[in-house]
Amino acid sequence: MTRFVLGRIGFYTFVAVVLAFFSVPLLWLLTAPFTDTPTYRVKIPDFTVANFAAMWEHPYALGSLGNSLILAIGTAVIVVALAALAAYALSRVRMPGRDALLYTLLLLSSIITGTAAMVPLFQLAVTVGLIDSQFGLILIMTGGLLPAAIFMLKDFMDSTPKSYEESARVFGASPLQIVRHVVVPLVRPGLATIAVWAVANVWGNFLMPYLLLSDVEKQPAAVIMYTLYTEGGQANLRLLSTFGLLYSIPVVLMYLFVSKKYGFRFHGGIKA
Amino acid sequence: MIELKSLTKVYPGGVKALDALDLEIRDGEFFALLGPSGCGKTTLLRTIAGLETATSGQVVIGSKDVTHVQPGARDVAMVFQDYALFPHMDVTDNISYPLRIKKVAKPARTAKAAEVGARLGLEGLMDRRPGQLSGGQQQRVALARVMATQAQAFLFDEPLSNLDARLRLEARTFLKKLQRELGVTTVFVTHDQAEALAMADRMAVMEAGHIRQIGTPAEVFQRPANTFVAGFIGSTPMNLLDGTVRGETLEVAGCKVPAPAAGLRDGEKIVYGVRPEYVTYSVEPVDGSIAGKVVLSESLGASHLVTLEAAGETVQVIVPEGDEPALGDEGYAVPRTDRALIYRDGELV
Repeated sequence: MTRFVLGRIGFYTFVAVVLAFFSVPLLWLLTAPFTDTPTYRVKIPDFTVANFAAMWEHPYALGSLGNSLILAIGTAVIVVALAALAAYALSRVRMPGRDALLYTLLLLSSIITGTAAMVPLFQLAVTVGLIDSQFGLILIMTGGLLPAAIFMLKDFMDSTPKSYEESARVFGASPLQIVRHVVVPLVRPGLATIAVWAVANVWGNFLMPYLLLSDVEKQPAAVIMYTLYTEGGQANLRLLSTFGLLYSIPVVLMYLFVSKKYGFRFHGGIKA
Repeated sequence: MIELKSLTKVYPGGVKALDALDLEIRDGEFFALLGPSGCGKTTLLRTIAGLETATSGQVVIGSKDVTHVQPGARDVAMVFQDYALFPHMDVTDNISYPLRIKKVAKPARTAKAAEVGARLGLEGLMDRRPGQLSGGQQQRVALARVMATQAQAFLFDEPLSNLDARLRLEARTFLKKLQRELGVTTVFVTHDQAEALAMADRMAVMEAGHIRQIGTPAEVFQRPANTFVAGFIGSTPMNLLDGTVRGETLEVAGCKVPAPAAGLRDGEKIVYGVRPEYVTYSVEPVDGSIAGKVVLSESLGASHLVTLEAAGETVQVIVPEGDEPALGDEGYAVPRTDRALIYRDGELV
């Protein structure tokens, strides 16, 4: 009995320590923006909004959040549209070497938009004139995300019965009508998952925009955050914490919205 | 009219699902495709619908050769085994979906859906999603949807298999009545011989990509064209006993029975077939009966299926309730000669 109680106490102490380890940075993120002179410690905030006012005056901070939105939404839209069409085709059309193709794409995609392909990607962007262009960056990040997106969506498509589509086909629906009327509504939770995943990926990506966008007006929040220093070269904690909070809010909101609307269910595998 | 001319379907990998089938389904007919699983009946239905393309041969619907026509342009409508109701649309949208494809304006197609839905007793359910309906209601929505198409022919793939046993009987009567009222040529696939016998005007019995017999339920039940159909049709399989021709009589299971057909050669080996329903049980020896020992008695409700063992063969007899013998009794199976059949090399003589 005593052993059991001690065991429980030990276990919960361990859980509390782990929890504290992860929650202290979050607490800092919540309190530091409202503190006059934030340090690296978690303090009771002074509830000042002066830091937000300062950020308002920063020439690039707010614009960079807008840039992040453009990049993330642009990439997500293209990824979802292309991945849906490709996954549908790959799921429904039998062709030799399909699985090998998918696995190869998946393998290679971790190299694109990764550190390993940094130099060739930069040279490629320069050669085709997509350097310092948000559209070019969207295309490159789309390329990096597409294989995994196709792979995940194909699983969704595989798990929807074919008879829905065949039924629509016998009624005379064209392939595009079938996709619009039947397939897309059926795999909507899958599309939502892919969209959220793509937005979160682009939102947090630092390397690619840092590499390919030199105009500070076009740079997203992830890159701007890297430049928040005082004149003395010290990290500007007032701006950093405030900006960090603003930077994380959209992603959190998106997760809450999508999870409420569609629910993050795991599809496939077990038949309901 | 649906006409199939030496229709062949070979799947990639070399499986021959349909082997040079010829079949004619008349206008307004309720036609059953019956066979064990894997016999090609569903492939045949899907080939008529256009969901499978024929490897060779022709599919003619009406008077148009549609062998290479897209499913949507064949003027047929299909009910799938799982009904394939779109789960994200309500009943109205499901029923009117074929009209939406035909670009019928929304008010007109909603009105049509309401009309067809009312006919099938779906009035109060038009705003529901398929997930909120019972199996029987889902089936009626699927039927309403094909009715809304006003197609030339309806194709049903195992229309009753998703219903529970009690509902199935009800749906059987309902389907047959509906088909009669609509008068639309309808082909349905089933693996249940009782369903085919009960509903169809005519039926085709299939085995391994071949049609083994085409006929009315009465013809197929009374005079199966071969031993496969004889064994497949009927709630209890037909007794098929090896025999030898001895002049005017047959030697079957060590006994002499009268030959039901003429033109047999003396000494010829044949198979003697008679349904348990057409055999009576006697405790006294009777001329032309088969003597045996009762080894099994199964209750069928109002009657019993009694199995006799006679010289290494088993003979099954339907015995009315109250008359069933005890196990181990010696008894006599008396076949009705006018219902007995002779098979030579598996084919009816």
